[in-house]
Amino acid sequence: MKVLNKIFSGALLLMLLASAFTAFSQTTEKGDLSIAVNYYITNNRVPYLVVKVKTKVDGRFKNVEGIPLKLYLNKDSIGTFIAKVISNERGEASAMIPSSVRKEWNSQSKHTFLANFDGDKKYSSAKGDLTVSRAKILIDAADKKVTATVLALKDTTWIPVKGVDVILAVRRLASDLNINETPTFTTDSTGKVTGDFKRDGIPGDAKGNITLLTKIVDNDQYGNLVIEKSVPWGAKFIPVSTFNNRTLFATRDKSPIWLLIIVYSIVIGVWGILTMLVLNLLKIKKLGKASAK
Amino acid sequence: MENSTLIKDGVVINEKPREASAVADEKTINDLLPQTFGKAGKIWVTVLSAICVVGVFAYYRQLRYGLAVTSMRDYVSWGIYISNFVFFVAISLVGSLITAVFRLAGVKWGSPLTRIAEIIAVAAIIFASIIIIVDMGSPERFYNLFIHGRIQSPIIWDVIVITTYFFISILLLYYPLLPDIKILLRFKERSGKRLNRLYTYIGAFWKGTPEQVKLSERAINILCVTIIPVAFTIHTVTSWLFATTYRPGWDSTNFGAYFIAGAFLVGAGGVVVSMYVFRKVYHLEKYITENHFDKMGRILVLLSLLYLYFNVNEFLTPFFKMKESEAGYLNGLFSGDFAPVFWFAILVGMILPILVLIFKKGRKPLPVFIVGIMVVVGAWFKRYLIVTPTLLHPFLPMHDTPATYRHYFPSWEEWAITIGSLAGAMLIITILARIFPVIPIQETLDEQYESVK
Repeated sequence: MKVLNKIFSGALLLMLLASAFTAFSQTTEKGDLSIAVNYYITNNRVPYLVVKVKTKVDGRFKNVEGIPLKLYLNKDSIGTFIAKVISNERGEASAMIPSSVRKEWNSQSKHTFLANFDGDKKYSSAKGDLTVSRAKILIDAADKKVTATVLALKDTTWIPVKGVDVILAVRRLASDLNINETPTFTTDSTGKVTGDFKRDGIPGDAKGNITLLTKIVDNDQYGNLVIEKSVPWGAKFIPVSTFNNRTLFATRDKSPIWLLIIVYSIVIGVWGILTMLVLNLLKIKKLGKASAK
Repeated sequence: MENSTLIKDGVVINEKPREASAVADEKTINDLLPQTFGKAGKIWVTVLSAICVVGVFAYYRQLRYGLAVTSMRDYVSWGIYISNFVFFVAISLVGSLITAVFRLAGVKWGSPLTRIAEIIAVAAIIFASIIIIVDMGSPERFYNLFIHGRIQSPIIWDVIVITTYFFISILLLYYPLLPDIKILLRFKERSGKRLNRLYTYIGAFWKGTPEQVKLSERAINILCVTIIPVAFTIHTVTSWLFATTYRPGWDSTNFGAYFIAGAFLVGAGGVVVSMYVFRKVYHLEKYITENHFDKMGRILVLLSLLYLYFNVNEFLTPFFKMKESEAGYLNGLFSGDFAPVFWFAILVGMILPILVLIFKKGRKPLPVFIVGIMVVVGAWFKRYLIVTPTLLHPFLPMHDTPATYRHYFPSWEEWAITIGSLAGAMLIITILARIFPVIPIQETLDEQYESVK
């Protein structure tokens, strides 16, 4: 029994010591960050990265502002450094792939982008990465038909890619409008998709030009690719400017005539009466002076 | 003793020596002549002047440091200055109600109240103009209204119509005053040198000849006809300052009528308060009788019901629909931050006056006076509710704004200027009541002759 008591007392002492150590250590629990890297290329020009930083609060993801991130191409070293960015209020930061990493960029057809956060008082260090293969889209438009070809870089050659989902659309002000009822097209063995343009009469610019788009969105292998082409397939939109017309919202020298007539008629009418009443007073005054004589 | 000539519509209807009624006339004149300030009057004027001085100092601070001294920011850019402006414009409409509407409708009993109504109208319209310049920040911006103002803007319509209404109110105060000035000039010793000089300057030419009376009567009739549409316009245009702006609570086609109904109510409230005070201070019980309070009480009930009807119209239909974009604004009024003020304005400014005044006992002078105060105070807060809650609930969400921009509570400078302007208006009423008879003397004498006849 005595031995049992000693073991029990020793275990209790150890537990107390352990808890006391934890209590005096004054460590605070840091938050965990989730870093997502997205790759974009528009019109086969300079690619860029958009990094999104989030954290989980009460079971919900919340954007995190002010997180400094270092972006690298393939590996974390000075020669592959892309940029240092800080997340904005939407938890986003973006950077173009700079010319300083051109050599590294051209050396391979597949790249891994790294986003590193070193940690701070509030959040633990975190990392995010994305691996994409270099690809491009070609667009051709004739006779109200849109043809897009998706090519991927293999060693030094661009080869057609089969089975990639592509969106064919027209650029509008708020969002993009598909060229017909089909939401997405899938490339065939030649890497091509073809769609009929069925948005006749859609307003274009003054010459009837509209912008066609071919998009690959959030593709696991190739990222986000967009290519644009302007075609004269829209209706000519001739804007009617009311800027120099007489309107209620024009400058003071361009007031509507009807308004001027109404306002000045009322003002002249009322102030005419008031002037007459003032003259009436003068008349009363004159009568008073005459009566005094 | 002078001869009296009673002329109606330009026709001499009674000409008789005044010896028989001379004593009664002198008594009436004596009762109605302006009286010097007693001790209470002096204290009253001193207190009002002190409040005005504090207001002027606050305005100096606003000029020195800019509108930053106020609590008005990006969202609430119209605070209590504009509420106060709408209040002054509203109360000024009483001139047209008591003087013009009553006169044209042949309401004889209202004649002792016409001068009081006109004095209130002039004082209110002066301070409506002043407070709008205060709201602009730098006063020189008022000049910009004329050189850059657009006739398409309701603000310019308001400037035009306020100027016009001010001018008509002055004329409507001045014309009926001419016969009284002739009487005042008879009492030089009582008036004192300065006042006599003023009376001589503004009215010594009035001899009361039939031609003069005829011209004056005609002018007053024209003014009464003219002032009604102008009065309706002044408050309709003021309501359009809000209604032509697309915002929750202001996007209403009902606003013109809603504002005019409210204006007549607060104006009538202002008159009963003044009636009671002047009656008490100047001992005018013989001229402002319980019958006047009874009738004004009935008018107040009618106007309260009318304004309540417009309020139900204004709030019930949006409440029933409860559009997403207006829900914040409406909930703020009915059960949110503004609920105490909203229900105070509805209950104290409309419902309680109706409940008190529908009973005969409630239309005795003291209850009517208390109800008048309730109506005026309720009306001031009602104007605050028209302006501020709407500005705090824009259609588009407030983004990236400091927390202080999302609330509004006036700074001490705003309170001082606003209270100073209210004191200033009361000071003008007090001074005008000291200079001129608050009840038209000649009109009272004429009515006495008519009743004798």
